[in-house]
Amino acid sequence: MRDKKDFHKLSKLSGDYLKYETSKVLTWCGNCGNYGIQNALKRALVLEGYKKKDLLMCFDIGCNGNGSDKIEGYTLHGLHGRVLPVASGCALANPKMKVIASAGDGGTFSEGINHLVHAIRNDYPILFIHHNNENYGLTVGQASSLTRCGAIMNGTPKEVTIDPINSLDFVLSLNPSFVARSFSGEIGHVTEMFRLALKHKGFAYVEILQSCPTYNKMTPDIWYTKRIKMIEDKKDYDKSDIWQARRIVRDMENEIWLGLLYENKKKSNFFETYPFRKGVKTALVEEVRHKDISQFMQ
Amino acid sequence: MNRLRIKVAGQSGSGLLSVGEILINSFKELGYNVVADREYPSLIKGGYSCFSINVSDKEIKGLSNKADIMLSIDKESMEAYFDTLEKGGILVHGYERLFGIKDLIEKAKKRDIKVVHQMVRSIAKEKGASILMTNVILTGIFWKTLGLDYNVLKKSVENKFKSKPELLEINLRCLRAGYESVDKIISIEDFKIKLLKNKEKKIVINGNKALALGAVHAGCRFYIAYPMSPSSSILTYFSEMSEKTGVMVKQGEDEITVANMALGAMFMGTRALFATSGGGYDLMTETVSLAGMIENPLVGIIAQRPGPATGLPTWTLQADLNLAIYSSHGEFPKVVISISDPQDAFDLIQHAFNISEKYQIVVLVLTEKNICESEMTISPFKQRKILIERGLVKEEGLQNLKNIDRFRITKNGLSKRWIPGSTDKAYYFANGDEHDEDGSLTEDGEKCASMYEKRMRKMDLVSKALPEPEIYGVRKGADISFVGWGSSKNIMRDVIAIYKNKGIKVNYLHFSYLYPLKTKVLERFFNENSSVNLIEGNYQGQLGKIIEAEVKKKFAGKLLKYNGRPFFLEDLEKFINKRI
Repeated sequence: MRDKKDFHKLSKLSGDYLKYETSKVLTWCGNCGNYGIQNALKRALVLEGYKKKDLLMCFDIGCNGNGSDKIEGYTLHGLHGRVLPVASGCALANPKMKVIASAGDGGTFSEGINHLVHAIRNDYPILFIHHNNENYGLTVGQASSLTRCGAIMNGTPKEVTIDPINSLDFVLSLNPSFVARSFSGEIGHVTEMFRLALKHKGFAYVEILQSCPTYNKMTPDIWYTKRIKMIEDKKDYDKSDIWQARRIVRDMENEIWLGLLYENKKKSNFFETYPFRKGVKTALVEEVRHKDISQFMQ
Repeated sequence: MNRLRIKVAGQSGSGLLSVGEILINSFKELGYNVVADREYPSLIKGGYSCFSINVSDKEIKGLSNKADIMLSIDKESMEAYFDTLEKGGILVHGYERLFGIKDLIEKAKKRDIKVVHQMVRSIAKEKGASILMTNVILTGIFWKTLGLDYNVLKKSVENKFKSKPELLEINLRCLRAGYESVDKIISIEDFKIKLLKNKEKKIVINGNKALALGAVHAGCRFYIAYPMSPSSSILTYFSEMSEKTGVMVKQGEDEITVANMALGAMFMGTRALFATSGGGYDLMTETVSLAGMIENPLVGIIAQRPGPATGLPTWTLQADLNLAIYSSHGEFPKVVISISDPQDAFDLIQHAFNISEKYQIVVLVLTEKNICESEMTISPFKQRKILIERGLVKEEGLQNLKNIDRFRITKNGLSKRWIPGSTDKAYYFANGDEHDEDGSLTEDGEKCASMYEKRMRKMDLVSKALPEPEIYGVRKGADISFVGWGSSKNIMRDVIAIYKNKGIKVNYLHFSYLYPLKTKVLERFFNENSSVNLIEGNYQGQLGKIIEAEVKKKFAGKLLKYNGRPFFLEDLEKFINKRI
């Protein structure tokens, strides 16, 4: 959302924006990346015309999950690492509502990494927001599988000595349909990525690099701002080329590329591959009634 | 007697299943009641297994461990099961190298067992069939031994090969060759079973299929599972029916996924179901706890097999009652139901959905391997007998809802439930953290306690709504009494009838609804019967312990079994005869 027209539109829609605003006190640390991410999400929802009844937001456990009751709308705050299966159950039961799932790097790449693999493989119709602050914040600063080597973390003897997983390289290896990356300090850009992801019919993976001012001393905001680059500025970048995407996401030290990095518009989402519900106009939630079973009692 | 006891023994993969299926259907066509269960090891080919089939003109539900006639497909299984053949019984086999079973033939002579033997491999060869079809030849021999109508058997074989017409002709040739190779030896009337003229329409069905049909009938639109014996065939049935039912069927990546997807789907407002066995359920317990916290309906089936760990994957037990009741962290209301037979399965799964939705609680349905897979003849299910009750706010009520209605502290503990998206105004937070009436997180001591109490109050509410346990046999003054749950009902119903003929009064109190425990009828049962015993398929007598603690009574005796086999008639006879 770096377009002036969008700012204009948003200011006109400020009433709608305020409907998502909570009157509660937010419980995140000062300068936490979650403020920016939540703001961007509200902006994107308003700009894309979502009403509360069109939307379910599911939250994993952790700092971002503590915001589950601090954005007004239908929300489900589930278990650690399990936001994807619960959100996919929701999305399959009622594809007429948009399902957004949020989780941190602990829930996504340790406790629930198997669910990530299968959510991507099944291409469930979900917008997934990966809050990547490279550590476990709410449990007071332990290392995640994305924490960098050399980081001094609560519970890790001396320092982190095991190489982290490269999140986007891992995701791209699973043949996803939509992969974007943004940075919590760039609210306009995050909004833009969310808007694109909201329009995607399958599993939209959006990673937000996020500072954690309290526990992640290695990559504060300033560290990111020096390194981030916008993908539209990269010459000859083809976002349909998965190998090009995999090459550029390898670098997490010098040039960190943000934007819609990969998109496969040809990939069929879960509903398009499922054999026996093609052409069915109703959602599962609209079909609960007695079903005649005579033909199965032979 | 009124009971013909058959065992079909053979290796897994030897065509045992086909023989069993053909025989069950043929007896059904003759109008008889059939109960059949298969015991087999957990492997794909080899090892010996056995199909027990009991046939009667009266209603039967349980099985004997003995056989009057044994049809044996190969040597290993013949040797393994030979001793269960009753004195004076009949052994049908086609093993060619008779010198290899000399001892067995000797034993048969001593026990007055008639051996019906044909060179079935040679017959197969002669008919241009492969040796894999010897099982069909043996089926023909078996049927003729009893002098039963060939056309009925033929019809079953035709039905079986309906989808494979290229195999039908050769199978019928084998069937007839077997049938014509021997003479009638015994009549079904020798077992005091009447030949039936008025045949009531019956279906053959097992517990797992009945659960699937009950769920589909109740409007279940989403089935999610991870394969685990003995629940796996529920996934198969849902999948096979899905083209016609439109039910979404999904194999999740693990049991945690399964439970979460089911929870999510129920949260959105459809009816979803999962089934697993004890080990799989272990993985689901955290999610069950979440359902308790956010007052989400959730219905799951636990198909029991012996544990711990992998245990005995293809055998039976009733040892996961404690698991069902006490699993999951924290305190929250829950209902545990057990089924016994296909009719129970069909009815109780429908009630499970109603209870779960109306009271916004977890309902666990316990079944057992020998219910899952036992085939029974029953009357076709009556449909629309059980209403669909969902407890959702009606369309006209949506306008006046407030956010805080969702978890509002009420006298009976029950708050309103409406599905996400049904109103723009009254949205809510389904929060796994302790929360206030709209679902907002709170750590305020007073508020937390009152929300906790509100949830727990639903336990009393649902308990009052659950039916009392049911008495089978005389209500009071029995010579010997039993209390149990699950498949015990099947064997007890047969035992009651058998002893009634002998002039001995046996009665049985059956718990379909196990938790919360209903005590009114239970206390009366103890007071009005002098020797109340426990029957349970586990080591500790899990229900027994709960009962003894709740009603302060002691059981006269406990009949417990935990070797993977179900209760047979003989187990009960031994127990009862010692005591009266």
